Amino acid sequence: MMNVKRFRAALGLMAVLATFPLAAACAGGVGLGDPRTMTFAPVEFSPPDPERVVLDNGMVVYLLEDHELPLITLTATIRAGSWLDPADKIGLAALTGSVMRTGGGGGLSAEQVDEELEQFAGEISIGIGRQSGSASLDVLSKDFARGLRIFTGLIRTPAFDLARVELAKLQAIEGIRRRQDNPGSVVGREFVKMLYGTDHPTARESTIDSVRRITRDDLITFHRTVLHPNGMILGVTGDFKKEEMLTSLRAAFGNWEKGVVPQLTIADVPESDAMKPAVRFIDKDTTQTHLRVGHLSIKENDPDYVPLAIANDILGGSSFRSRLFNDVRTKRGLAYSVASRLNAGVHDQGVWLMRAETKSASTQEVIGRFLANIDRMRSELVSDVELAEAKEAYVNSFVFSFSSPSAIVGRLVELEYDGLPKDFLQQLRDKVVKLTKEEILAAAKKHLHPGRLKIVAVGSGKTLPGALSTFGEVKEIKLSPEG
Amino acid sequence: MKSRLKPRFRLSQDLAGNQGTVVASCVGLLLSLSLNLDSVFAASPSLADRVIEHKLANGLTVLMVERHQTPVVSINITFAVGGINEQVGQTGIAHFYEHMAFKGTRTVGTRDYEKERPILDELAVVGTELEQRQRELAAKSGGGTAEEQAAVASLQKRFAELQAQASQYVVGNELALLYQRHGGVGFNASTGKDLTRYTISLPANRLPLWAAIESDRMAHPVFREFYKERGVVMEERRLRNDDSPSGLLFETFTSAAFRAHGYGVPTIGWESDILSLTPAETETFFKAHYGPNRATIALVGDFDSKDVIALIEQTFGKIPASPPSSARMPVEPEQRGERRVEVEFDAEPSLVIGYHKPGLGHPDDDVFDVIDAILSDGLTSRLHRKLVREQRLAASVGSDANHPGVRAPNLFIITASPLAPHTTAELETAIYEELDRLKREPVSSQELERVINNLDADMVRALRSNSGLASQLAMYQAVAGDWRYVLQSRDKVAAVTATDVQRVAARYFTKSNRTVGVLVKKSQDKAVASALSGEVAP
Repeated sequence: MMNVKRFRAALGLMAVLATFPLAAACAGGVGLGDPRTMTFAPVEFSPPDPERVVLDNGMVVYLLEDHELPLITLTATIRAGSWLDPADKIGLAALTGSVMRTGGGGGLSAEQVDEELEQFAGEISIGIGRQSGSASLDVLSKDFARGLRIFTGLIRTPAFDLARVELAKLQAIEGIRRRQDNPGSVVGREFVKMLYGTDHPTARESTIDSVRRITRDDLITFHRTVLHPNGMILGVTGDFKKEEMLTSLRAAFGNWEKGVVPQLTIADVPESDAMKPAVRFIDKDTTQTHLRVGHLSIKENDPDYVPLAIANDILGGSSFRSRLFNDVRTKRGLAYSVASRLNAGVHDQGVWLMRAETKSASTQEVIGRFLANIDRMRSELVSDVELAEAKEAYVNSFVFSFSSPSAIVGRLVELEYDGLPKDFLQQLRDKVVKLTKEEILAAAKKHLHPGRLKIVAVGSGKTLPGALSTFGEVKEIKLSPEG
Repeated sequence: MKSRLKPRFRLSQDLAGNQGTVVASCVGLLLSLSLNLDSVFAASPSLADRVIEHKLANGLTVLMVERHQTPVVSINITFAVGGINEQVGQTGIAHFYEHMAFKGTRTVGTRDYEKERPILDELAVVGTELEQRQRELAAKSGGGTAEEQAAVASLQKRFAELQAQASQYVVGNELALLYQRHGGVGFNASTGKDLTRYTISLPANRLPLWAAIESDRMAHPVFREFYKERGVVMEERRLRNDDSPSGLLFETFTSAAFRAHGYGVPTIGWESDILSLTPAETETFFKAHYGPNRATIALVGDFDSKDVIALIEQTFGKIPASPPSSARMPVEPEQRGERRVEVEFDAEPSLVIGYHKPGLGHPDDDVFDVIDAILSDGLTSRLHRKLVREQRLAASVGSDANHPGVRAPNLFIITASPLAPHTTAELETAIYEELDRLKREPVSSQELERVINNLDADMVRALRSNSGLASQLAMYQAVAGDWRYVLQSRDKVAAVTATDVQRVAARYFTKSNRTVGVLVKKSQDKAVASALSGEVAP
């Protein structure tokens, strides 16, 4: 998902020219007239450039000073994730991240960490997701030294207090028991499983048994073997002096020895599976049908990424401006929430999907509109106006990707983590500027596949089989009760 | 762990926009505009001094903070109008009007307003009559006479024709499109019990575009696609309330806690009310409530305040004030005994407990903010420590000192989900024990210090974003009549003593003042179409 943001931000970069004083912000005193015909100068803004430093042990640090507020934020992006979970202990990476935060460390007990941190209003969060981990410290600058001491302890020498491990396991199990409470959560997870297969690292889920099997020793081992300074990128922003900050960071992390950082490689789904269409429903006692319709797609570094992303933007990616929003919501009143998404990263295959929630009785009509809109995308050129709107929206909103120092640093960290060039955004931007209607049509034809659609619906088991039957052979996914 | 950025107020809201914003954001971190942070703010003048205030002759309040780091601006327009302004039978009309406000004006959203107008007028008349007759027929046994049915059919035909004609003139979502083309982000709106809010962030040099659009829609909104949008709002209701276990629990719980005051009505409205709203009623509601005198505009970003004032005077300055409010709201009678409600749902159990308490401006209100933080803010908070960590009864706990609004007397609520195999009944007992402890023993000075330290830090953090600051300034101005309330409130919270906490706990946390809502897992009798068992194709 983060890559969608990155793309939007990237396209905006077009507007960045040279640094010079901004023109007067307002045309006050002038007759305003029709907002539809107003024109404005491009936004000129040159964002500050963070500094990149590599410590001797390989830890990468991006720094950007910002003295407006007395705050310092430090975020570590960590090469760790649930792709490393052993098949019988799914949930290990997530649990490790959770208990790194709650289980004490650096010579402090779990209680001491909580007490001290909350007494001075410091915030630390640590989490390990599917393809990356993240740890952050957010403190008033006057408290940075003690905040960093606690943070370093939790990252380098977490204590994994046994009671906190047990508690985290119980909480994880309760989370599993509650997975089926909300129809939105059910449809999202079942759709991903349909696309990648239930055992794929992008789709697989912990179970009560897999969590029960995880021991404190497993957490200790995971931390010791996976987390290394050379697998971490720090981003630091806020009210500090760069040289002093580097001195503090070297003192905190400098004597942490390098290790072997895990490879982040995720297998593709076999083409034969990816191509198969499917229609599935999950019976749940709801008034709406919760729908996902889509298939696997390209990665972010694919040469067709930009034209496909713009095609998706026009189709359903741009809320009010998009075709699906106008067709399904505005004109027909069939959904509050309707959209399409191209969620593409660089590690696993991307996903392209359409989604909506609509009352049971209009399920068939909404899927029909989805199909009609794909067909239109694949058979007609988008209009000049649509293309111009999409480009302008990107160009003019670009400046918001630089709205804060942490956004600027965060973006660079993300690019480096994903192994993308620092000027990746500029490359995307250049493609967007030159993009033509023909390229969009070609990308839509090549990458939107009506014949491969996986349709997953959560809703009434009484009506869904009938409503879905015109779209293919309908099968039910029976959810086994959790716990 | 719950977020330690504890909102001061949590207004329940419904957003008009799209799925990107389904979760109503918490408005309400206290903002720190001055305080005893002088040393850390030494580099910049006191932030309190940076708020520039301007009041127009028509009553519109403008609050501005110049911030020149990035050439952008965030704007929040907040009306002191919300669900509590609605009459019986028209619930949801405030939220529905907010949706209508995205349909454009006499200029934006139309190909030719002069031609469109008579069609919209007739559509409103025909639609209203059609629905009135349909309701009458539905009430009759046998579905009415053939003549009556023919009249309805004829109206239906005319209605369809008019809808088709009207659609010829609509430029769909043009208002949003204009903002997007000019780089706008965060274009959305929300309606709560107390407030209706419109937000946008733009490149700073687009302020004239904003002023032209927003002054136009404050003065001349046009209700296009009215009947289709009712369908959209019905889908929103299904999504947020009917199909959401927590949404339905909260709706049921809140309406049980309030029997007279409008806080008991869900902001989105009851289904039958939404389905019978008319264009005329919506127009009347708009004219009665949404004048500039009910609005605060907060702007934070890269502009010159003098220019902004000139721009706003030139545009919004021409809009007449709406009449003084004449609405009367019933005062909630004292609760005389515990109320308990259950909601059955295909979901794991959860619990909400609420106590009536005074609203904004009452001295006890500040004490509840302290209690709120002590009970559930962070891993060291009492409920987390006891229920989650020590007794392992709860998967999660939380509290909120201002449910479902802030202006009127409201509820202090505690929410919790049991950790299986424990039950909501066990949780209830454990929660009451913690509330009793507040009555019995003074809270520690360390706890009080932690509350104020976190409040001060949150206030600084809240300043990070232009939109966050704009939101807070506008909100406090709208609910308290003065944005400086946030500063005063901080000092009041700092002055709360252990004795205050004991006194307030003893006074309000009583059984007879309590409403309890329990989400009960429904043993689902799966009624899947008969041919289906396992994976079978029908």
